[in-house]
Amino acid sequence: MPSYALLGQSALSGVFIGALYGLLGLGLTLSWGMLRQINLAHFALVFLGAYLTYQLGAAGMDPLVTLALIAPAFFLFGAALHLLLARFKVNALNTLLVTFGFMVMLESLIQWIWSADFRRLESHYGDVKWKVGELFVPLPELLTLALACGLALAVWAALRFTDLGKAMRATAEDAPIAAAFGVNEKLLSLLLSGLCAAFAAVAGMCLALSHTLAPSQIYAWIGVVFAVVMIGGLGNPLGPLVAGVVIGVSEGLTMAVTAPVWAPLVSFSLLIAALLLRPEKF
Amino acid sequence: MRFIWRAAALAAMTALLWSAHAQQPVRIGSTLALTGPLGSAGNIQKVAIEVYIDDLNSRGGLLGRKVEWVLKDDQSRPDLARTLYEQLATVDKVDLLMGPYGTASILSAMGVAQRYGKILIHNSFGTPRLAKYDMQFSASGGAGDPENVWPNLVFDAVATAPKPPKTVAIVTTKFPSAHSIALGAREVAKKRGLTEVLFLEYEFGNRDFGAIAARVKDAKPDFVFAGALGLDGVLLLDAMKKIDYQPPMHFYTFPAPGPMLKLPEAKNALALTTFEEHPPHTGNPQATQFIQGFRERAAKASLPSTSVDLLSTIAYASWQVLEAAVSGARSLDDKALAQWLRQSQVDTVMGRLSWQGTPEGPPNFVMGKDIYKVKQLQDGKWLVVWPKEFAAPGAKLIGP
Amino acid sequence: MRFVAAAIVLGAVPFLGLPAFYESFLYLVFHWVVLATSWNILSGYSGYFSFGHAAFFGIGVYTTAVLAGKLDWPFLWTLPFAAAVPALVGVALGAIIFRVRALRGELFALLTLAVTFVVSTLVLNTPVDGGPGVMLSAVSIPKLAPTVSGTFYLLSLVLALATVAIAYAVYHSRFGTGLFAIHDDEAVAEVMGVPTYRFKLAAFALSCALAGVAGGIYGVFVSYVTVGETFSGFVALYVILMAALGGTRHWLGPALGAAALTTLLYVFTTSDYAVAGRAAMGLIFILVILFLPQGLLGRFAHRKALPRRNAPIPSAAPSTKNMESILVVRDLSKAFKGVQALSHVELEVRRGEILGLVGPNGSGKSTLINLVSGHYPVDGGSIRFEGRELVGEAPHRIARAGIARTYQIPRPFPHLTVLENVALPPMFGQVVMDRAAAEAEAWRWLEFTGLAGKALLQPQHLNLHQRKFLELARALASRPKLLFLDEVLSGLTPSEMNEAIRLIRAIRDQGATIVFVEHVMRAVMELTDRVVVLTYGKNIAAGAPGDVMRDPQVITAYLGAAHA
Repeated sequence: MPSYALLGQSALSGVFIGALYGLLGLGLTLSWGMLRQINLAHFALVFLGAYLTYQLGAAGMDPLVTLALIAPAFFLFGAALHLLLARFKVNALNTLLVTFGFMVMLESLIQWIWSADFRRLESHYGDVKWKVGELFVPLPELLTLALACGLALAVWAALRFTDLGKAMRATAEDAPIAAAFGVNEKLLSLLLSGLCAAFAAVAGMCLALSHTLAPSQIYAWIGVVFAVVMIGGLGNPLGPLVAGVVIGVSEGLTMAVTAPVWAPLVSFSLLIAALLLRPEKF
Repeated sequence: MRFIWRAAALAAMTALLWSAHAQQPVRIGSTLALTGPLGSAGNIQKVAIEVYIDDLNSRGGLLGRKVEWVLKDDQSRPDLARTLYEQLATVDKVDLLMGPYGTASILSAMGVAQRYGKILIHNSFGTPRLAKYDMQFSASGGAGDPENVWPNLVFDAVATAPKPPKTVAIVTTKFPSAHSIALGAREVAKKRGLTEVLFLEYEFGNRDFGAIAARVKDAKPDFVFAGALGLDGVLLLDAMKKIDYQPPMHFYTFPAPGPMLKLPEAKNALALTTFEEHPPHTGNPQATQFIQGFRERAAKASLPSTSVDLLSTIAYASWQVLEAAVSGARSLDDKALAQWLRQSQVDTVMGRLSWQGTPEGPPNFVMGKDIYKVKQLQDGKWLVVWPKEFAAPGAKLIGP
Repeated sequence: MRFVAAAIVLGAVPFLGLPAFYESFLYLVFHWVVLATSWNILSGYSGYFSFGHAAFFGIGVYTTAVLAGKLDWPFLWTLPFAAAVPALVGVALGAIIFRVRALRGELFALLTLAVTFVVSTLVLNTPVDGGPGVMLSAVSIPKLAPTVSGTFYLLSLVLALATVAIAYAVYHSRFGTGLFAIHDDEAVAEVMGVPTYRFKLAAFALSCALAGVAGGIYGVFVSYVTVGETFSGFVALYVILMAALGGTRHWLGPALGAAALTTLLYVFTTSDYAVAGRAAMGLIFILVILFLPQGLLGRFAHRKALPRRNAPIPSAAPSTKNMESILVVRDLSKAFKGVQALSHVELEVRRGEILGLVGPNGSGKSTLINLVSGHYPVDGGSIRFEGRELVGEAPHRIARAGIARTYQIPRPFPHLTVLENVALPPMFGQVVMDRAAAEAEAWRWLEFTGLAGKALLQPQHLNLHQRKFLELARALASRPKLLFLDEVLSGLTPSEMNEAIRLIRAIRDQGATIVFVEHVMRAVMELTDRVVVLTYGKNIAAGAPGDVMRDPQVITAYLGAAHA
């Protein structure tokens, strides 16, 4: 029987990787659920953000400070992307295709600038960790978790309690009706799309803090993050985080008690069972 | 008189034709993974080979003809590699083929080479027992049974530590080549009387190494043998560092060399190599030319690491083998080249290669020994520490 | 005919002595044609969007890998199994998935994605692969053509042609019409007689089987298969991109998209432009989708209607009004989350009559229709139609028994033309008709309802009154014995209403029995032979219209107690 420290550490590691899934999925779920845009380019944008963090970090800038530059720039990109998609009235399936095109272009851009070889951000964050009881808590992961929770909760609260958020939800439910009640649907969508891209910048910063980067890695995250977004319920800002943590922890615990190769089997079998037995919960 | 004129004219024309032929370049075709998951390796190899071809052409090329490299991007996909090799062989009609990067793509290329009777020199074939073609030649410097040779080499190396390990934890990806070596390590460890305190297999592409690191820490091994490819090693080291664990000794099969160099926690990590930028490997003109040339071209290609490593060396060496074969056989004929290689030895930048196979092994593979060395990351540099005669001056395996 | 000619020309390629490269390249094209087209038969046609095509492709790869590579079966003999094993897995999965009604859209996509992870883990960690991959270079390849690449070319050509032919046949068949109806509105499709469960299973099985065969051939083509390569996300992503690029609503769309994308990916393999080429591919992709949003074949996505051919005017069956009951409802109850919508309702409908079913809003009229047509399961009671118990029957079987209905808020299939909408029920009615006969039948009812001029438009181009008539035409086209009309008159102008009343009379004169749910009292009084009144889910009165409307209970129900 594995020790409690081992189980605890494995579960904690699952929480951290789940938080990263959640952060990656946040922008995706909002644009998918509320704008009906399945944005593959989000993954490439996350990596572009990570590479920019790496570049600015290598020039001596603090990774957190880089966000002040990257996030606004990405906001503009997201808004511009939305303008394009709205101008051509691209439907949900086609947004998948158009954004695939953008993903490939961004991937090429990254490889052109930073080559296909691995890049790794050196930062003092990586050296900081705390010991809580028998468990170790490293700073970059904690930062990721805090940002993931903070952003998800902030978006959730904003959608629920502010007028702007309520207007956004109304627009997502039924744009023409919302427009009839005086909601400026176009401006809201633009704002939301920009925000989603800014979230990609945050996720990219966290990715740069904890992972080694290569352009082809963009594709490695799609499957599991899509799963997390869909499990969490489209448009639900808390969904990807919760689903990511559930998957991360179930995989972490599986790896702690049995052969690590079985981890995906356990988490995704659980998911299939849940889908079949309680479909109305999703 | 008229006869002499005619003879002279004929001779002149022949000479003209001959020289025109001589000026036509030798076209050598291959693919590399320039985009896709293996892109990092493919681009390093591209630079190394370009360095070699520059040098070769400055020396007059092959058989007095310039060399033109017809390179295509297989996008890290074996099915595409196969089709591209068909294109090289049947449409581009290149004179010679060279291997792509990676086991699966090399197998695809090997099938094409076999159908058209072409020789195939490759450098990164991870599972030699899968090679069935008698005109394929590995220039990786590895034996036909790496799953036996490499674990023995590594366990020999760690046995020289001040306190040789008694227990081992083996952690491996399920990617075929690294996996088979890790399985070999299990056997070798058992034969040598080491206690296996942990054996873990994880899926290729695994991202969360937290639980694995925690289990390694719990097992308290003297030595961690990680069947790690590419970024796995970095991820595992990261995860171990996060739980404040530093294994007494640790080995990684084929780690991405660049990122590892920058990890403080990778201190004293062991890995395999054939050539490093220090004596006794350096100090000859060929090595100097290689290191210098690579440094310049890698910077131009904006590669993050401009020092040579295993990937660039084997790519460079594979073209040395090709040149040696063409000069030795004085021919571009595939059969003649293969014939010559089977009976010869070639001195490459990383050592002497030969292909005298044995009936029980895969064709053209030497069994039981190879030219691999064990390197260790000491003070931010990879230094060969074993076998002794290749070790960096004064370098010894650091261990507990 | 052109199809056969094209097949012959393509089949001759390996014998022309072209460089083997062309065969290998075309092999790749055909390979993706099969994968994209097979994905589309399920996901494009029926709208069940799969992210898990790689799983079934991979099962096919490993079926052949195990049989040919490990058990030394002859290559060609493994292919039927490479089709059968994924199809069986698909059917087993589908049998579970399709029973769960809520699993549409993203949830189905999620489930198939999860299946991919599970299958790949199983293959990796069991003797099927176990880790080292499976070597297939020793598999002997039958000599179907002068060269090996020619053989692969021919195999994939045959498979691609077969797949496209299947997609074509399905597209134009009853089966395909049913799938497109499922795509648009599954519940309505079922009520119109489409056996949705069976159709979805069949489409899933077909899709998996074709992907599996492609996988079997592919395994031997690459000659070394590993889990990482086989189950990579690329297959799942690329088939969707290809199908959408070509157009998911056309049988040839995915094939064209596959050819285009494979060629695009191939064009940019020259080393000097590998990265720039990839970027160019992305740009081309964006431009194509922005300017051809329906895909390359989008504008051809409508099936050409067969030449118009009116069915003979139906023999006006004599109006056999008699006392025989065609429908007997006894003690029928239904509750939604604790709210009793119907309790112990009794109803008898006599053959040939027009029965008015009236009651205030929320009295349970529509619920009653939904129960009889099988849309909702029944809590208790019995529904007997011509002596046969309907409770527990699937909706499509109820439709087949001869019961049709309209929807209060019209629910046409939005992506089908008006003609296709009306031609659907006859294909799945009491007498199963082929498409030609069904379209002839449809023309007749379009004529009857005055919609013939709009036959080739999509329902979105109709106004409310026309949509209501489309509902009517669709219900009539199956020539029901019993027809439920759910507030067909609401929202119509007085003159439109007069026209509708005339139509309903004409319908009855042709022999149908009608249950007429309506608020417009004028129409009820004019049309019905008898009236049944429901309030709060209970019967309160029944009888001749004039008598019932004077019943104090009815007046109370309609106007409230204070006025009584």
